[in-house]
Amino acid sequence: MKPRPLARGVTYAFLVAAALLMIAPFLWSISTSLKQPGDVFAYPPTLLPDPVTFQNYIDVFTKLTFGRYFLNSVIVTGSVVLLNVLFGTAAAYAFAKLRFPGRNAIFFLLLLTLMVPFQVNLIPLYKIMVELHKAIPAIGADTYFGIVAPGAIQVFGIFLMRQFLRAIPDEILESARMDGASELRILRSIVFPIALPGMATLAIFTFLGAWNDFLWPLIVTNSDEMRTMPVGLALLARKNASNWGDTMAGTVLTAAPLIVMFLILQRRFIEGLTAGSVKDVG
Amino acid sequence: MTWRRRFRGASAGYLLIAPALAATVLFLVIPMVISAYWSLTHYNGIKPPEFVGLQNYLDVLGNARFQKAFENTIAFVILGMGIGPALGLGSALLLDRALRLRGLFRSAFFLPTMTSLVVVATIWKFLYSDAGIINAVLGLFGLPGVNWLSDTTTALPAVVVTSIWQGFGFETVVFLAALQSIPRNYYEAASIDGAGRWAKFRWVTLPGLRPTILFVYVIGIIGSFQTYDQIFVMTNGGPIQATRTIVFDLVDRFNRLDLGGASAVAYILVVFLAVLSYVQLRIGEERD
Amino acid sequence: MIRARRLAAIAAAMAILVGACGGAATTAPSPAPSAPPATDQASAAPSEAASASPAPSIDTTPVTITVWDYYGESTPVKPALAGFQKEYPWITVDYQALDWDSMNQKFTVGVSSGEAPDVATLDMTWIPTLAANGALEDLTAMSGGQLNGKPIADQYTKGALDAMTFGGTFVTMLFDFDTYALYYRADLLEKKGIAVPTTWDELRAAAKKLAESSKGSGKPDRYLYAIRPNTFHFSQFLFEDGGTILNADNSKAAFNSDAGVAAVDIQKAILDDGSGLYWPDANNDLTPAITSGQVAMFSDGPYYMGLLKTGVPAQAGKWKIALNPSVKQPGSYLGGTGLGIPVQAKHKDAAWLFIQYMLRPEQQVGVFTYAGAAPATTAALESPELTKADPYFGGQSPFKVFLDTMATSSHFPYVGAWSEIDTFITESLQSALLGKATAKAALDDAASQTDAALAK
Repeated sequence: MKPRPLARGVTYAFLVAAALLMIAPFLWSISTSLKQPGDVFAYPPTLLPDPVTFQNYIDVFTKLTFGRYFLNSVIVTGSVVLLNVLFGTAAAYAFAKLRFPGRNAIFFLLLLTLMVPFQVNLIPLYKIMVELHKAIPAIGADTYFGIVAPGAIQVFGIFLMRQFLRAIPDEILESARMDGASELRILRSIVFPIALPGMATLAIFTFLGAWNDFLWPLIVTNSDEMRTMPVGLALLARKNASNWGDTMAGTVLTAAPLIVMFLILQRRFIEGLTAGSVKDVG
Repeated sequence: MTWRRRFRGASAGYLLIAPALAATVLFLVIPMVISAYWSLTHYNGIKPPEFVGLQNYLDVLGNARFQKAFENTIAFVILGMGIGPALGLGSALLLDRALRLRGLFRSAFFLPTMTSLVVVATIWKFLYSDAGIINAVLGLFGLPGVNWLSDTTTALPAVVVTSIWQGFGFETVVFLAALQSIPRNYYEAASIDGAGRWAKFRWVTLPGLRPTILFVYVIGIIGSFQTYDQIFVMTNGGPIQATRTIVFDLVDRFNRLDLGGASAVAYILVVFLAVLSYVQLRIGEERD
Repeated sequence: MIRARRLAAIAAAMAILVGACGGAATTAPSPAPSAPPATDQASAAPSEAASASPAPSIDTTPVTITVWDYYGESTPVKPALAGFQKEYPWITVDYQALDWDSMNQKFTVGVSSGEAPDVATLDMTWIPTLAANGALEDLTAMSGGQLNGKPIADQYTKGALDAMTFGGTFVTMLFDFDTYALYYRADLLEKKGIAVPTTWDELRAAAKKLAESSKGSGKPDRYLYAIRPNTFHFSQFLFEDGGTILNADNSKAAFNSDAGVAAVDIQKAILDDGSGLYWPDANNDLTPAITSGQVAMFSDGPYYMGLLKTGVPAQAGKWKIALNPSVKQPGSYLGGTGLGIPVQAKHKDAAWLFIQYMLRPEQQVGVFTYAGAAPATTAALESPELTKADPYFGGQSPFKVFLDTMATSSHFPYVGAWSEIDTFITESLQSALLGKATAKAALDDAASQTDAALAK
């Protein structure tokens, strides 16, 4: 059924309007980050700054150690993604395809943890980190381990991968087992390759969550060297709430890595997202 | 299955879930259990806890500020989940018909979803400021500016808008994929039976979308109930409790060293969410 | 559809599991009965700590202390570290910079999880909750009443000493103080022939004459007086009319008295006249409104001097400071920053040495030169650095005004429920000033909530 020209025109009009609504705040944020303080609230408002100034970005890098925050974010996020994809998929495979006593009960227990807001675990978890740090200084509070550990293997990821993996035909696995392959071998050579789109999706979601995580890194890090970008941004935003130029520069810097990555990888991203979440082959 | 294969599956199964289970138990389950215990005590973290049974729960449920937080959160959820998925579905339907530039639109829609809630809230706080761009645009049309975040009637809707804005792309993409996975021959069969556009939507599209709609709602409602980050950045629960949410109440109790009360709030929320999700899924199932 | 059924099965099982789990949550060992709360008797303030005992000999084993600082980039603490290190070479300082907002959260998490710094900068409005929960070390015991070799009582004003005391003992050392005075655009007052207001009626009249519309006619939008709905500003007016926040033994609210109602009414009147600008805390600081000329008078503390200098350099020389207009007596809230030692600190003696160092006149003067704030010790306040003429304020010596305000200021009540009461009062102010309730009704409502909180 081909849409009629008028309907098409209206359709595109709506879509363009929606797209503009989505993008406009970002454009305004970038524009503000390049404005001088006096121009930020100038009336009537102008989109293009005149004059353009990079002072806000310079401020952000000199007032805060944004370079170090960036490095920390990269290390933390990379670790979280890697751990989640590997161990999450492995666990998901076990829940999806292997049978062992207590399997369903354990899975339900894991699902239950999704319902509890993180804030309530904050203090006991922090206490645990502190004790770990006392016992073994290399781990625990104020270390990369401390920031990474609670998010290292997330139940949401296991849930997601389980849905993907259920689609794998049992016959393939059976024949591999008949050939004498161990479960680990099956996981590595059969499951991982098939699950790659799902793992890509998981990687992206986990990356998003880990990069943008704010509350836990704030609490578990004490020293400035360990802070991640969102924590750095929040410190900047709260301090300089009346210096919107600096604040917007901070938001641009914090959001940019994700957006750039998204724009480069978007096809893989969206395919991975849609391939697993809706189709139910199982 | 032979005993041998079952046994092999078992030990491999345990081995494979061991890291996940260990991490979850140590970093999620144990803290959850500790907080559950605290919810039954008066505890400020400094002096030893004092067991009081269900007193915290009674205090919390009877507390006017908590009740207001609960009301606000319900309002949040109804507004956000009432409007958001509908907009997402609408734009997915439109995108489905758009043949050109679909990828471009999808990317544009998805940008807000990529940004952290702190960033989203900061940008919108700036947009909403008294001399900000929204009021400036209103001024260009001769309309008076509004104190979006400091007026008790507009504050909550203003924050809901940012949530809807952020979730729009995610919902669009998910619905779009669902739409595209409905087999075309269903539509053709419906055409042959003489169904018009609206009938097709009702009898082919909607049923095909049901699992996705359910997914979006279950996840969305659980998430909406836990709204906190935007409130923290934009309004701090104000003005006059207008945007105070359940999790905000929880954190507030923490800051006053009322660990028992905070934990009680958390577990009230857990029970409520569990029941709600169960009801949702039962409704979804009955229609089958 | 298959997927829905699966989800339903999962959720159903979850619901059963939740039901089973919901009741039996006590798997931790049975708790010890709670220790009695920190004594809250109204014993005499330890202002006569004239102990002649010599200072104990200092332990010089190498130690590292953790210091948390919320001053931000203009901190007076960081520049002092080098000097401290030189004088106490065996003490290494692990210095951590936070901001004011996160400090509250982090410090709370820290003390409640047992992992606290050795020294922290604490806003004086946090002290009641912390002290009532027994989180702060008893500094009277630690110090023997001496600070840098002299009695503590001799180094602070009475108001400051009072503010540092909880339950009869010092729980913090005041580092910078915050009291409010009137900031006004002297150039505009002079141009319009308005005398500096000293009473509320004069303030209202002055605000009316100052306010004007930038468009020539219509609602005034320029040169307004900032009306801030928070407890700091409310207590200013309340105290000036002879009112108090709580009654004498801190058991009931007293702010809904006639003085309280008057305090709200005068602000509402200025707003209704069109000469006030309603500026809630969520808008953060006033500098944008000052820069644009929207605000020409406001009340606030010493740190605004620094804010004006950095944020509104164009208006240098145009501002002056005066005692806030009052009705019965001058009055202001007393707050600021205190240095405190959590009870869980690991190196308290070294921490106390650090605090003493920061309270020496040289470091105290740094509070002004770096942060633009007001040092708390009287020695620093009398130093030439702080009493010289300030060109930004038209050659005036603003600290002289603030010293006067300090003499007549009082701190908020030190009760454990203070942060809740603060919120009740703030909300009632917002309600009344936005016209949603009469002052009396709003304050009465806050008062009954306060009484309930105090009764717990």
